Amino acid sequence: MGKEKLKIGVYELTGCAGDALLIVDCEEELLNIFQAADIEAFLMAKSDNRDGELDVALVEGSVSTEKDKGELLDIRKRATAVVAIGNCACVGGIQAAFLDKKDWEKNFKKVYGNLEFSQAKPIQSKPIDAYVKVDYFLPGCPIGKEQFLATFARVLSGNPPDLYRFPVCVECKWHENDCLLNKDILCLGPLTLAGCGSICINHNLPCVGCWGPTEEANRTSEYHLLLEKGYDVETIKKRMANYSGTRIAEFFAQFRKEKK
Amino acid sequence: MKRISIDHLPRVEGNGGVFATVDGNVVTEVKFVINEGARLIERLTVGKTPEEDVSIAPRICAICTLSHKNAVLRAMENALGVKVPTKVTLLRELMHLGEFVESHSLHVFYLALPDYVGFPNAIAMASKFPFEVKIALEMKQFGNHIMKTLSGRYIHGENPVIGGFGKYPTREELVWVKNRANQFMPFVFRTVELFCGLDYPEVPEADTVYACCNPEDGKYGLWGEEIVLSTGEKLAREDYKSLTNEFLVPHSLSKRSRYKGNTYSVGALARVNVLGERLEGEAGKMFNKHFNNRWKKNPLFHNAAQALEILYSFERIPGLVNEILKYPEDPPIVPYKAKTGKGTGLVEAPRGLLIHHYEITDGLVSDVDIITPTAQNAEEIERYCYIAAQKLLDEGREEKIRDRMDLVVRAFDPCISCSVHMVEVKRAPEDDWKKKLADLKKMEPVFIGVGTEGRTDDQAGLELALEMRKAGVNAVYLESELEDDHNLETKAQRPFVFLDVVQMGEQPGKIAVLPLQHVFWNSVLSHRLLPSVSNRLTYEQIKNSYILGIQPESIEDGSQMSPSVKKAIEKILEELKS
Repeated sequence: MGKEKLKIGVYELTGCAGDALLIVDCEEELLNIFQAADIEAFLMAKSDNRDGELDVALVEGSVSTEKDKGELLDIRKRATAVVAIGNCACVGGIQAAFLDKKDWEKNFKKVYGNLEFSQAKPIQSKPIDAYVKVDYFLPGCPIGKEQFLATFARVLSGNPPDLYRFPVCVECKWHENDCLLNKDILCLGPLTLAGCGSICINHNLPCVGCWGPTEEANRTSEYHLLLEKGYDVETIKKRMANYSGTRIAEFFAQFRKEKK
Repeated sequence: MKRISIDHLPRVEGNGGVFATVDGNVVTEVKFVINEGARLIERLTVGKTPEEDVSIAPRICAICTLSHKNAVLRAMENALGVKVPTKVTLLRELMHLGEFVESHSLHVFYLALPDYVGFPNAIAMASKFPFEVKIALEMKQFGNHIMKTLSGRYIHGENPVIGGFGKYPTREELVWVKNRANQFMPFVFRTVELFCGLDYPEVPEADTVYACCNPEDGKYGLWGEEIVLSTGEKLAREDYKSLTNEFLVPHSLSKRSRYKGNTYSVGALARVNVLGERLEGEAGKMFNKHFNNRWKKNPLFHNAAQALEILYSFERIPGLVNEILKYPEDPPIVPYKAKTGKGTGLVEAPRGLLIHHYEITDGLVSDVDIITPTAQNAEEIERYCYIAAQKLLDEGREEKIRDRMDLVVRAFDPCISCSVHMVEVKRAPEDDWKKKLADLKKMEPVFIGVGTEGRTDDQAGLELALEMRKAGVNAVYLESELEDDHNLETKAQRPFVFLDVVQMGEQPGKIAVLPLQHVFWNSVLSHRLLPSVSNRLTYEQIKNSYILGIQPESIEDGSQMSPSVKKAIEKILEELKS
């Protein structure tokens, strides 16, 4: 007792607000979260938000306007640690689909024409580490309750998060599912970061890759497994691109490197 | 001048706000701004398989995720000619009701109620309303539980797919849902009495048009194959564009909608206004008990309508579960062969009519159009905020403007990630019109002088136009010169600035730049509505039109302009020359 509580802020940039909502959806645990730490800012949950020094900032969403960028740079200055929460903050999210600037501009014009925006100048969507140093990445679309609470508890006790680095397949085996690849269904489990609890395969459906690409797995062999199953490179790439954001290029560049 | 601001509107899901500017006795600006970045969802969904888009499109919004899921599924299944078994349709309805329970209980108790009982947030409210705060949380959890059971997770569940579900809930899970729903009934009645009995302020009341889906079975419901309006008009699902008529405004990345040039409302209040008489059972009784004419014109009754829909949902769930239990077999996912087609899906999201439209060519999605409820409500939010602000200003209650606009915005339950947090009311600085005129000048506006020749101050607009021409200002017209040609059409991309006297309740000679829209929303502002010109403008043009107005001293008979108005004309000319 008597130890000062950590000051924590939850921020939303451009996205679906699903990661902040997931924290609100922690319901019973939400009161514990509010008691265990000083929640300095959390727009979805409270009105009296402060812009002061922070121990930890949890940032959701991708940087998609100049305003997002300004807010993020300010948060980084005020926070000791920045944690990217969710696929949009970690890799740019679905809205980082147009990686080439010209391609983005072309598609932007298709939706908005040549209109000049007066309030929040739109820019090509990027993950938050494109602009600031990010200490930890908590993946998911949206983040998972169990992994969020475990991470929150570790951060509160001064420990770094302990996140899975292996693919969904490992969790899928824990759930004793039959491998969908054996039924010739294109499942992205082998290439996708675990943490969701292999939820789609538990529902007899193939993994859509929504937690983004795995960081440290035997990706090459998993990838070759998909090729052996008869899926072509382009199809795998296209499917993986849906939730890999700006990481897709380096992800596939690595395979090329390893192949040589 | 002054600007009232609610910067970062808290307790609204998403990223935006409302800004209002007050100049003396007139509200010169109301903007519902959405700062959420452009995500280009309608573009990045192109080139994917229908299955990929069923996964991606609901990522538009976390809170309406299953409404988006049902909308994309209905559209895709229409496009691909997939007919799903009854059990699938019933389970999708249960999933949708779960989202209604979750979203409505969160909104009415946690986001709206604190405003009406004088607390900054729900946690603080717990001291006076411990029971409400606790049971509402359980109610929201129950909604979440249904969503998770049917879709696979709380948010962005992947279990509902084209042709059915990956996995079906067990009998035990469904029976639990039925019994749990029944346990909530006493609190549900309390919820309806509480929100139908709140003291909703009269400002801002104004007539409007409501739109929602028309359920095929003639009952109250959450989706349909056509749109029905409070005017009685009906639109087939393929004709949705004749309702929404989307257009853009510079201050927001969310598109706007107008029907026949007028704003319209979607959401719980729209459904209750249009379909309320179809409510059965206890919800029907409560509708008859509480519904009255004020519900037809006061957006604050969105909260009461949502409470009625909580009752509707809780009454519907047990019966729905019984129907589902009649189908013990889990149907396999319906396969399809079609590679090409187009389809529209209409559903009611908790905050209103949601439209998804897809075209599929050779197995890949080739065109996408998604129209969210908040995008349709954006014009209404601006209009009702304006009406509230101007009315309160007229009544000398300027200090109430900010909080009242806050109530209005929040009542619409805007889901801003799918389209915007803030209300800001500012006093405009001295001579604010100069800055506004300078901004307009950059956009190469077309000036149109309006008035009656030779009639006291009513000739000021014409006089100003003639003087501007003499001073060499480009594109200046008189009202009469526009009657017979097509100048208005050809100048469509440039803003129109009408030069006229405007009754602002101000000192004679006061100058203000007002959106033309305000004049249409408030008949007191102008002595007449420029009928010869305004009838020929599209709403996009109206949205892009302004009045450079001067407060007259007199517009009665007589030939002389008053000195104050003459002085105002000189000031404007000086400004235009600089």
